[in-house]
Amino acid sequence: MNSSLFLPALLTGVFCYLGAIETPWLFGMSGGYYIVGRPLVAGLLVGLAFGDIKAGILCGLAVQAVFIANLSTGGATNSEITYAAYGGIGLAMATTQNPAIAVTLAILIGQTFGLIFYNFRMAIYSYWNSRADKAAETNNDRGIVLNHLVYPQISTFILRAVPVFLAIYFGKGLVNWLINSVPDIVTHIIQVLGGVLPALGIALLMSIVIKNKTHLIFFMAGFVLLAFAKLSMIAIVFIAALVAYLYYYASTNHGNGSSDGGKSVADSNVVNTDDEYEDDDLF
Amino acid sequence: MKNAVTSNSEPLTKHELNEIWYRWGFTQLSSMSYEKLQAHAWAYSYLPFAKKYYANDPDKKRRLLKRHSMFYNTEPQTGQLINGIVASLEEQIALGKNVSEEMPVNIKATLMGPLAGIGDSVIQGIIVPILLSIGMSLAAGGSPLGPLFYILTYGIIGPTISYIAFHSGYRLGVNAIDVIVGENSKRITDAFNILGVMVVGALAANTIVLKTIAKVPLGGKSQSLETVLNGIFPGLLPLAVVLFGWWLVSAKQLSATKIILVLTVIVTIGCLIGFF
Repeated sequence: MNSSLFLPALLTGVFCYLGAIETPWLFGMSGGYYIVGRPLVAGLLVGLAFGDIKAGILCGLAVQAVFIANLSTGGATNSEITYAAYGGIGLAMATTQNPAIAVTLAILIGQTFGLIFYNFRMAIYSYWNSRADKAAETNNDRGIVLNHLVYPQISTFILRAVPVFLAIYFGKGLVNWLINSVPDIVTHIIQVLGGVLPALGIALLMSIVIKNKTHLIFFMAGFVLLAFAKLSMIAIVFIAALVAYLYYYASTNHGNGSSDGGKSVADSNVVNTDDEYEDDDLF
Repeated sequence: MKNAVTSNSEPLTKHELNEIWYRWGFTQLSSMSYEKLQAHAWAYSYLPFAKKYYANDPDKKRRLLKRHSMFYNTEPQTGQLINGIVASLEEQIALGKNVSEEMPVNIKATLMGPLAGIGDSVIQGIIVPILLSIGMSLAAGGSPLGPLFYILTYGIIGPTISYIAFHSGYRLGVNAIDVIVGENSKRITDAFNILGVMVVGALAANTIVLKTIAKVPLGGKSQSLETVLNGIFPGLLPLAVVLFGWWLVSAKQLSATKIILVLTVIVTIGCLIGFF
């Protein structure tokens, strides 16, 4: 019976490695951490590994809601999203396939084992860094490649794929026992909590995008467009882009921005892609 | 100097430039520690450059590799702008132009903070959550369309930002700094911020699920409180929770772990008294 779990658990471990912030294979952070590392994508991949895409995506969706604002600034992190996503969704898929269980496990794993392994890995990498430094000092090209790429990737593979594989392969029985022995009220609390915890992710997101209190007006506008007007997310993104463009347009006129008009063209090519289409609508 | 004849005096080709771009783009964090973060990706991405210009000058090569093994950390995608600027400076140094070897180091140290600030708030704070929230709405009911949408859109946007940033940095050289810290760039970031705030509001209404099962006496018979609340303001409970969470984060400066504990206590009490 356990042999059927071997391959899915192994694949989940490998995906956990690929979705890490430090893996280079998928254009660094862009394809690794930002794509494979997101719980929504993890749900699809773990679903594929376990042969039940629908259940995987439902678990991924629930976990993604909590981790919507997983932020990593300056290398510091408060919950390790890749261990959380793959450990939590993987274990949930191996046991009940219940999204609420996936959320609870993901938070537990991310806040404990995930952080421990993450910080341990950061410490090991300091060792490779000092060797890479020496290689630079002695013009040793091979040493730079080995200590920047090869050894760190071997360490991180061992620290990610192996624990996640073991947790799913051997943790299934424990999780099943726990789920079957907890009283109904605890299950109910976990269900409700799973619905509320996305508020934490969104609160963290608000703390970076809301720069002053007047921004709360725009937050309320977004909330009301969905809650009252029942618009789809895509429609709201377009309305928000229009509002943002109007905001930009107004601020340019008041702040005599005509003098650096040339720069604005170059600049908008760098960071701004969405606002381009609004031009056609307005003029 | 007659010796200079042996060294290469050709500018970087498009291919060599792209090599610097993708070497750093792929491996920027592959040896990250708290001590060095993205430091060694620089030395690694300049290895072919060193081979081209400093094959006969081990001392210059050592200085190049050393000045690109120092602590460095920025947003890896928008931060490619700095790599572009530095590539243009390193090229001028290698070609013997009047640029000091401290210049690239100073540029890296000065710009990594501002670009991390802009990049993190635009990418982690706005682009990724927007694409994810669209993906999540498409994934409702377990449809693979949601994750696929996200993989495809971010898979194009992330590397594209990186590529454009690198090549604009190289093209503009040090002039790019005006573009980053200029007034117009602040206005664009502000406008993006508005976009982000509105979408986050919608996201809050879409993802937080909190319903009360309490009943209230209304007109002689008891009615579900949830129905009453929905009649006044749909999503009032989720809104209250998210504003409370935001207050804990921004005004009370609580850590995420503590907020999880606070929410757990509130939900547990609410469940035990039969409110949730």
